[in-house]
Amino acid sequence: MIVVFEKSMAVRHIGHLDLMRAVQRALRRSGLPICYSNGFNPHIQLSFASPLSVGVVGLRELMDVPVEGECDPAIFAQTLSRALPPALRVIGARAVADDYPTLMALVSGSVMRIEMDATPETAKIAAAFRLFMAGEECVTLRRTKSAEKQTNIRPFIQTGEVKETDAGVVLRCVVRNRQDGSLKPSVLMRALCEMAEVETVDFIAYREQILAMAKDGRAIPLEEYENG
Amino acid sequence: MTQRIEHLLERVEKPARYTGSEMNTDVKPIGEAEISFAFCFPDTYEVAMSHLGMKILYSILNALPYAVCERVCMPWVDMLSGMKQEQIPLFSLESRTPLNRFDIVGFTLQYEMSYTNILEMLSLGGVPVKADERTDIDPIVVAGGPCASNPEPLHAFIDAFMMGDGEEVIVEVVDALNDCKKRGLPRAERLRRLAAIEGVYVPSLYQADYNVDGTLSHFSPVDSAAPATVKKRFIKNLDAAVYPTTIPVPYTQIVHDRIMLEIMRGCTRGCRFCQAGMLYRPVRERSLTRLTELAQKLVDSTGYEEISLSSLSSGDYSKLPELCEGLMERFADKRVSISLPSLRIDSVVKESLAQTQKVKKSSLTFAPEAGTQRLRDVINKGVTQQDLMDKLKDAFEGGWSSVKLYFMMGLPTETHEDLEGIAELARAAVAAYYAVPKGQRAKGLRVTCSAAVFVPKPFTPFQWCAQDSMEIVRQKQQELRRLLDIHGVTFHWHDPSISFLEACFASGDRRMADVLYRAWQLGCKLDGWNDQFRFDLWMQAFRDCNVDAHFYANRERGAEELLPWDFIDVGVTKRYLRLEYERALKAQTTRDCRLGCNGCGIERIKGLCSLCE
Repeated sequence: MIVVFEKSMAVRHIGHLDLMRAVQRALRRSGLPICYSNGFNPHIQLSFASPLSVGVVGLRELMDVPVEGECDPAIFAQTLSRALPPALRVIGARAVADDYPTLMALVSGSVMRIEMDATPETAKIAAAFRLFMAGEECVTLRRTKSAEKQTNIRPFIQTGEVKETDAGVVLRCVVRNRQDGSLKPSVLMRALCEMAEVETVDFIAYREQILAMAKDGRAIPLEEYENG
Repeated sequence: MTQRIEHLLERVEKPARYTGSEMNTDVKPIGEAEISFAFCFPDTYEVAMSHLGMKILYSILNALPYAVCERVCMPWVDMLSGMKQEQIPLFSLESRTPLNRFDIVGFTLQYEMSYTNILEMLSLGGVPVKADERTDIDPIVVAGGPCASNPEPLHAFIDAFMMGDGEEVIVEVVDALNDCKKRGLPRAERLRRLAAIEGVYVPSLYQADYNVDGTLSHFSPVDSAAPATVKKRFIKNLDAAVYPTTIPVPYTQIVHDRIMLEIMRGCTRGCRFCQAGMLYRPVRERSLTRLTELAQKLVDSTGYEEISLSSLSSGDYSKLPELCEGLMERFADKRVSISLPSLRIDSVVKESLAQTQKVKKSSLTFAPEAGTQRLRDVINKGVTQQDLMDKLKDAFEGGWSSVKLYFMMGLPTETHEDLEGIAELARAAVAAYYAVPKGQRAKGLRVTCSAAVFVPKPFTPFQWCAQDSMEIVRQKQQELRRLLDIHGVTFHWHDPSISFLEACFASGDRRMADVLYRAWQLGCKLDGWNDQFRFDLWMQAFRDCNVDAHFYANRERGAEELLPWDFIDVGVTKRYLRLEYERALKAQTTRDCRLGCNGCGIERIKGLCSLCE
């Protein structure tokens, strides 16, 4: 069963493993026909499409929950929703066949939004982002699983737009995953701060959507991906 | 303020400590309650959320239709300084309400070294730190828990203490204050109302005087509302007492991240160093039916994967094997495991060992407490060398390879021989492991010996005792390090300066409040955390206040001395404690009171103890 859910503002600091445990406990509370792993320390089977960086709000996150037998997606969503704390909200569920690929393998990118208050510093960040988009290269320190190294992060951003109002500055971009992973909002923001010669700015980042590549090469919401 | 908090959270370590929103914390809106209670735990979130008492009282208060209870914890140093810088007051986890906007601020007193955190939390929450500086618009600050049994070092900061089992008295306190609030009574009148409730001590209504030698000469109430003796509260029937069926389920890993099922309260063993053993008398068990019902509801409401059977001495629960078996069977399909936390070496039933083993093979803990039979008799730890060896044999044959042995050093009458006894026990444990044939025993022997420094506690037979000086403790630790340099054995010891301060507060009087205040002013906080503890500042505080720390920690008290906590009746009498102390000095043991009443004083309260009827 594929579940679309929101990791809201209140729980955006919960790490990936903690989130996993919270969902496992919710599944145990729910009484849904879940599957347990075998072995010495049995745990509930569950996998997420893509770990969300700590501190980022996830508006449409995805997880795959294997179930025993048939289960109506609407009832599944409703039951799980009741078992989760309000800060983790189920948006919908979809039953998929056993041969559906793992979500992780399908992820091609995401839509990211970064919000800041309107200040002289964030105005400079907005200007830096325009420069960033116009350029071909932006080298900054980025940590991958294996190492921390100088990386050109520009290719990660497929498209980007910036909106400046009295209320604040909003950056919105489509992030493309590359072979060695994705780009964290904090890394992009640090690069923009360097460009703008600003020390730090307060911001809140949202992952609006996880993307997959459709058979025809279009980027589509992951939950809409059809197998076969 | 929300925006400032959110931005600050981006800059601190473990921000999830401060964000709340856990499962089962969706309490009623604070604005809709007639009276609000801030349950303050004077330590970090991970410690606070592991505490059973908080969960019980949180559930009781939120079940009252007119009251709301929210949680407040001590922020870590990075958050503290950020909050001060951004002028964010200490706020509750549920609704982020500043502490000073609550009607009642309640602290649980679990550990002496968390006292500076109380002052820090009040200050950060905009509540005047000193009780006599609070006005009608400030919250009433209350406290309870085991350390409330000697409330005097906190008398200047807490308006009212609740003594004993909190389930009932906390509701009476909330009701009284709700009534006072409706009538608009002034603070002084509210406190007088509280003083009239059984089990409540309002320190401002009492006067303490001292002799020239520094001992207490006189202690009595100065207000007609205050009783001369404050009687501790008891829950008579644990089955009938409220127990939560839903508890908060934190997202982040806390110290005890599981369902804690309190199977009984109290302990019949009578270990003479143990304050809990004396304070929580008499022993009261929950029935199998009630425990099964509670376990089911808690598993359903929390989804936890582990239930720990909690009490001072779970091995003594009269139907332990039935309980373990029943719970394991019931929750097998949900893969919920059952664990026994405080295993006592003389009560571990083989069956229940086998039961826990099915699930997980973690390390086993034994607490012989002392190294020789003589000293174990002095402290009335009814455990023999043979018991211990049998249990170790069982454990190693049963597939365990890691055991922990807990000891205390500096116990009354301790000699060099007793320290050597610790090493002998450790060696015997190693030998017991190698006695199991290779191939049948689990790999990786680990014997961990911990030696805590003995701290004399009020309401124990050792309440009159002096603690070893820090110099002597250090010498003994050196000695033990040398003695325990054994292959397969690891030795852990404690910082004697922390134990020294614990002793000062455990046995302290009202003058310790000055030291506490001064130490906090000098910047002491989070003293229970080694990396934050500043002994030099504490010593400066003692000097600044002209108070002699050794007077509290290292002085043997006379039989006739008026002790600062004598005005509290905890059930066990001073006469009995003295008798026990005298027996201890003669290394005479006292039987477990399941085997017959020893006349500890609880029998004065009709219908309370099932063993002394």
